[in-house]
Amino acid sequence: MLSFISFGRAAAIVLCDMASTAWYIGGIVETAIGPAAPWFILAVLICAAPVLMLYVEGSAMFVRGGVYKVVRESMGGTLAKISVSALMFDYVLTGAISAVSAGQYLAGLINTAFPRLHIHWIVEPKLFSVAFALAAVAYFWRENIRGIEESSDKAVKIMSLVAVMAAVTFAWAGYTIWLRGFRWPAPALNLTPEALGWFPAGLSLGKFGLLIAFGHAFLGMSGLETLAQVYREMEAPKLKNLKRAAVAIFFSALALTGTVSFLAVGLIPDEIRKNYADNLLSGLAMSLAGPHWALLILQACVVLVGVVILSGAVNTSILGANGVMNRLAEDGIMPESLRHLHPRYGTTHRMVNLIAAMQALTIVLCGGDVYLLGEAYAFGVIWSFVFKAAAVLVLRFKDRSKREWKVPGNLSLGGREWPLGLAALFLLLFAVGLVNLLTKKVATVSGISFTAFFFALFIVSEKLNLRAHAKGEHREKFNLRSAADLAIVRDEIERANRVLVAVRDPGNLYHLNKALDTHDSETTDLVVFTSRIRKGLALIEETVTMDADEEKLFTKVIEAAEKHGKTVTPMLVVSNEPFYAIAQAAQAVGASEVIFGVSAKISTDAQLERLAMTWGSLQTDKKAVRFRILGPGVEHAVDL
Amino acid sequence: MSWFQKKPPEPSAESPKTTPPNRAAKGLKVSSILSSETIVFPVEGQDKAAVLQALAAAVCGKAGIADWAAFLAKVQEREQGISTTLDTGLSLPHARMDGITGILAGMAILKKPIPDPKQTDLSIRVMFLFFSPNKQDAFPLHLQLLRGVSSLFQPALIDQLTASSGPAAALELIKKLEA
Repeated sequence: MLSFISFGRAAAIVLCDMASTAWYIGGIVETAIGPAAPWFILAVLICAAPVLMLYVEGSAMFVRGGVYKVVRESMGGTLAKISVSALMFDYVLTGAISAVSAGQYLAGLINTAFPRLHIHWIVEPKLFSVAFALAAVAYFWRENIRGIEESSDKAVKIMSLVAVMAAVTFAWAGYTIWLRGFRWPAPALNLTPEALGWFPAGLSLGKFGLLIAFGHAFLGMSGLETLAQVYREMEAPKLKNLKRAAVAIFFSALALTGTVSFLAVGLIPDEIRKNYADNLLSGLAMSLAGPHWALLILQACVVLVGVVILSGAVNTSILGANGVMNRLAEDGIMPESLRHLHPRYGTTHRMVNLIAAMQALTIVLCGGDVYLLGEAYAFGVIWSFVFKAAAVLVLRFKDRSKREWKVPGNLSLGGREWPLGLAALFLLLFAVGLVNLLTKKVATVSGISFTAFFFALFIVSEKLNLRAHAKGEHREKFNLRSAADLAIVRDEIERANRVLVAVRDPGNLYHLNKALDTHDSETTDLVVFTSRIRKGLALIEETVTMDADEEKLFTKVIEAAEKHGKTVTPMLVVSNEPFYAIAQAAQAVGASEVIFGVSAKISTDAQLERLAMTWGSLQTDKKAVRFRILGPGVEHAVDL
Repeated sequence: MSWFQKKPPEPSAESPKTTPPNRAAKGLKVSSILSSETIVFPVEGQDKAAVLQALAAAVCGKAGIADWAAFLAKVQEREQGISTTLDTGLSLPHARMDGITGILAGMAILKKPIPDPKQTDLSIRVMFLFFSPNKQDAFPLHLQLLRGVSSLFQPALIDQLTASSGPAAALELIKKLEA
């Protein structure tokens, strides 16, 4: 069954990545630019609003509108491959930095709590964080092999925990501020030589320094691409839910990451804060007002919730990267073998294996250094945004069709619309990207190397795939279940109202789209059905594989379902008579309505006549079923 | 993926002997549109075309229609399209005719099954022919009758009809079932 998730679940998946940065961004950015870090983190989080708008516009245009799809449609395959290579770097680094940071927090807690408990064990933070990170990646690798439904459940639970922890911490911090007052972070920049990259130390940067600092805080925006990846899974009304998710993401990230960054600098004494560079929120917990044992309990809560959300970010990164690689594989850019579905769970397990392996390798190579990972991290984030903004901007000129939603700031002049808001956003992102190239040495070297490696891999795979078979339309992969009856499908159908939609021609899905328009997934199960007609012995010897035509047909069905955000249950039946198959399937699922399209070969009257005969000969009860034939300008309905 | 195979009719000996429920068109009894004169039994003719011709002549004769050839031509034209034979052994030719105001129906019972020329794996044991008015508001009734007749003529009834002594007995069987 193809099912869809609510905007809340979608937002939770994205926030598992984006909000998790709260646990490490403060330490990394302050190490690079000094105590003014919270101001720049705040600026980046505010800047996330137009970037979210960019994603809403891109996704509204293409249901699978991630950076790859949008850049390819706008600027061609080569730039799309480069942009997605950068994005893959982001996903791999997201998993690695989140898992390592979680390990650092846990190591910090162990080293603080154990002496109080008279346990004389001290763990080496970097070594421990590497071991923990590998375990976290392994855990979420297994979860993703088992499927997204479970993963989105987990994301919601994680974000609920984070909300509770944030509420307790903020209330406690408020009490502390009431007792001791609050010291706002100084807005002065103190860029370290490392933060200047290839610029000479001591160079007078003026306002340019602000852009450098902004670039160092840019990792606060990581995770937004996941919004485009989960959009295809979002339930109807899709665009409205996408906007709701974007708003929820923006305010949640702003409230959590922004507030904790200010509280950390404002409440942790300067001389202590540097000791908590890798686990800043632990430092915040231990710096609040209250007895030591209570602070230790709060620290334990902060660490445990941190471990959970950071581990959730590992999950989100695997989900997101898997989604991106699926889009690439559909275009023949990844080896076809990578799209193989897990026989039990139906997930693209080989892609999940690849992503998890790359994250594990990164974790081992970084040696548990969060700052190193943080420095490298932003490369993928900023360059995927730059490409995305450029692509959406170019599309405004290239494709002037009406948009469902647009980034605001459009000026109508001389009969044309000038997307000033979008252009300004692109210029800002491009400027940050260029500055980051010059100032973040680790990011530039590792990011370019990784991107070049992935780009080369995509080029080679594409050429090999083109050689192997002519490039055609993308086709979804489906798992088929062998069953002598419909018990499995029946188990998936739980709503009282059941509608069977018979499909055959991928070019004639008018009736399916009508059904998707009018039926509510909350109250109605939509079973989309096709029959493979075989005669004689061929029927008995049929093997459980979907042929190319059936794959193409169901790919179109899935695309239509995704576009509407409605749940469908695909069903394939082998039969020696199509009308018999429809009638039998309708009875088997307990359909109250059967919808089919106008046939190019048979008149609608003849279709209804044959169906009435077959239905009568098979009818086992007196329950009336409505049969509808729908086509452009055609609608016939009869209760039989 | 599931497999739905339309099965050939079961041999008479293994057919269920219980009477199938009456599922004829609501408000329209099949027995009410038949009469002993429109039930052709036994049938003379070794193929579907000949049986259809005999049945069309009987139906039109009972209704006082002289130009029965036009009715036959119309139903033969319909027969060129999608099959009207079911795997229960029922052949259900039909046509929508101008100039009639009600249903005209007849039935032929074959002592010996004949193959359907379009679907040679199917045998015809009973042929039910009907004409309905060629009006849009009559089409739902046309469809209800197709469903009702298909539902009524299950293998058990067909067994009983082929074993009956003649048209009157056959009509009684149907009346009894619809009672």
